[in-house]
Parts: sequence; structure tokens; C-alpha cells
Amino acid sequence: MRILTTSFLIAILFMAILNFFDIEIWIKAAYNLVSFIKILGVKYSLLNEALFVVWETFVMAIFGVSLGTIFAYLLAPVATPIITATIVSMPLRIIANMVRAIPAIFWAILFVILLGPGPRAGALALAVYTSGYLIKFFYESLESSDKDLVDTLKVMGLKRFTLAFAVYASVKKQIISHIFFMLEYNVRSAAIIGFVGAGGVGYYILQYISLLDYQATVTYILVTMALVISIDVLSYLVRSRI
Amino acid sequence: MYRKFRASGDFYIPAIELIDVKIGYGNEMILKGVNLKVYPGEKVAIMGRSGSGKTTLLKTISGLLKPFKGSVRIFGRDLYQERFLNGKIAYIPQNIGLINSANVLYNVLLARASLKPINFLLNIWSRRDQKDAMDVLDIVKLRDKFLSKVEKLSGGEKQRVAIARALYQGADILLADEPVSNLDLETAAEVLNVITEVSQKGIAIVAVMHDIQLTHKYFDKIYILEKGVLREKN
Repeated sequence: MRILTTSFLIAILFMAILNFFDIEIWIKAAYNLVSFIKILGVKYSLLNEALFVVWETFVMAIFGVSLGTIFAYLLAPVATPIITATIVSMPLRIIANMVRAIPAIFWAILFVILLGPGPRAGALALAVYTSGYLIKFFYESLESSDKDLVDTLKVMGLKRFTLAFAVYASVKKQIISHIFFMLEYNVRSAAIIGFVGAGGVGYYILQYISLLDYQATVTYILVTMALVISIDVLSYLVRSRI
Repeated sequence: MYRKFRASGDFYIPAIELIDVKIGYGNEMILKGVNLKVYPGEKVAIMGRSGSGKTTLLKTISGLLKPFKGSVRIFGRDLYQERFLNGKIAYIPQNIGLINSANVLYNVLLARASLKPINFLLNIWSRRDQKDAMDVLDIVKLRDKFLSKVEKLSGGEKQRVAIARALYQGADILLADEPVSNLDLETAAEVLNVITEVSQKGIAIVAVMHDIQLTHKYFDKIYILEKGVLREKN
């Protein structure tokens, strides 16, 4: 309750600072919304093209997650003091933090410079970014595992990768959940990195926005949304079967 | 698979020997010079009030905690010079330390992960390994449940899986932290019968116990840990 009250008070304070209480703004916003909705719609003629582009985005996202998962799965045990000495784990954590601190779009710019524009650059950008995130998610999952289990495994003689893989088995649900989260996140990121020419749906959305073709934009956004929702449903189905 | 009684010459060497072990956290001393000898096949119970350091004692024997002073010898060899002695010791902590989302067989096979890391990483085991695992599940009477997920088992069954794992590991020493504390009397007796059977194979048992009657019935020696010192109960 205290968290809720504090958040509420901070929100109210910032609404005042940002002038949200000016009623005129809201009247104007409502008017703009109505005019905007009037010009919205779906261009069914673009559906095939949108599906192909979203498929390309999905392939980029899948590649990014797969490569990112491989790196993270192998590196996260090295980044946690429950498995590896602190002198090794801490520097790796710092490197993973640095990778994560750089937004996906900057990685995309870097790979567009290195490899030229197209989905290849985007896929690699997503892989690097995903690695940074998943390393953190994975080592946090390893650290949240039952401490008694880790003790038992150590006494049994398990160390390094055998220890890591045994602990992974105990947090399998969390790991799969993180992978699906990143897949969904990558689809959304792929929509943004397309802005800098790294392939995917973002490039097309940017083109249609600049042409003020909102119906085409809506078509692309709806197909992207359908993909994100499908991934979420798939994630739920997979996790419920584990 | 698991060793029967050790060679008779070894029998005079204690499986576990603690010599003046002192350990603590910060300035607080938990164990203030503990001496203990446990021989192969012997069942020793450690009793004492909550917070008296019983778990610390088990963790010290298992090699998880290193004492400030004194030494821990396993079959005459210093524990801290030979980290965990390649699985000679099996440790069952208070909440058992099993992978709840995995099945019984996986949890048992896990005990050979350090000996056969490739098999473990690929989760491909030879027929011999699987047969051995099924044999130990027979001993603890859980053969029928080898594919059941651990989270679906009762408290007593979980304890028996942990004991099966220790047998499969080929451990010479079994350390159990309150193995029957959350079980009803009948189930507790079942678990302690299995522990007795295990000790008859020459495995030294050290268990933290609370129930005085069960302890008297099932254990060879009882030690009381009080104010950091271990003394044998007559």
C-alpha cells in the first residue's frame, strides 16, 4: 500500500509540473484524436506485403534470440559468484551491463556501417543486445535458485558447467520465460531498428509515416501486434507444458 | 555400484574425524572446538536447540564451510586439501535440495554428473547407468515413481529420492539435516528404516534429529550440541 501511495503522490506532483491539469490541452487532444481516427483504417491491399515484412522481422528476432541465448547460456554461469569466483564474475557483469546500456538502435547503426543496410545488420544488432539482456536474466535466475540445492550439488562434486547446467534445470521455467520475453522484445525492437536501415518492419513504417499514409502504417502495426500476441500465447503454452 | 564395507584394514580409520573444529560468523563463534569420530556404517544423531549450530556442523563436515581452526578428516585425508573428495560425501539439506521440476530419475542420475559430465550435459545415459539408478530406487521403494516429477511427491518420498541419489553417487558418508522433521511418525519411521538399510552397506550417517524417541530407536550414538561444544549423550 505504501508503494502505491508514494507512486500516486509522485505521479500527481509530476502531472502538475508537466501542466497536465490544464483542461484546454485535453479538449484539444480529444479533438485531434477524433480527426486522427477518421483518417485511420486498414489497407487490405498491403496485407501480403506486410505479412512478408513481418515474417522478415520475425526471422531477425528469432536469429537474435537464438544467438543471444547461446552466448548468455554459456556466459551467465561465469557471471555469477555462486558458480564462478567473484574476480572473474564481476568484470563479466560489467561488460554485460555495458552491452545492455547501449540501445539496440546504436548496435543497429554500427552493424549497418559494418555490413551495409538490410536485415543481416539488424539480426546481428539484436543478437548482441539480446546477449546483454539474457546474461543478466540468466544469472539472476541462477542466483534465485534454491541455495540448498546449490549446496547439495557442490557437495556431490559438481562444479563449473555441470553445476551450472544442473542449476539451470531447476529454473527451466524462468529461463524459457526470459527467452520468450526477449523474442517478443526483439520483434518490437526490430520495428525500431528498421528506422536506421537495419531491415524489418520499422523501415516500412517509417516510409509510410513520412508519406503520411496512416492506413498503411496501421496495417503494418496491426500485423506486428498479431505477431507479438502470437508469441505471448506460444510462450504461455510452452511454459504450461513444462 | 555402491561400496560395501570398506577393506577391513580401513575400518579403524574413521569415515569422519573432526579435531578441535572452531567456526563462526563474524565475531560470533558457533562451534568452539568440536571433536567427533564417525566410523563406516555408524549412525550418529546430532541434537540440540535451534541455532545451536547443527546445520553449521553438517556444512563443515560436507566441506561447504571452512573452519577457522582445527581439521576435518574424511577417511584420514584432510577435506580442505581435496575439495569434496569427488563425491564421497552426500548432503541432504533441510529442504532436501532436489530439482522439483525434474523427474525422480533425473534427480538420481544427477549424482553422476561430475563423473560423466558429457552424459549429463546431453542427458544421454547408458543402460548400465539407468539400471543402477533404477536399482537404488528399488532400495528406497520408489521404482514405480521414476518418471514422477519431484514436486508431486510427498515429503517422505522426497527424502527417499535424496537417499537414493546418495546411494547412486556412491557416497561413503551421508549427512542429513533434519530428515524427518516435517513427517508424520509412520513416514518418519519409513525414512529412518531406509537410512538404517543404507548404513548397513557401510555408509557413515550423520543426521540432525529432533525427536528423542525416534533418535534412540534408530541411531547408534547421540551427540548434543550445546554452546558450541559437542558431547555424547549417555
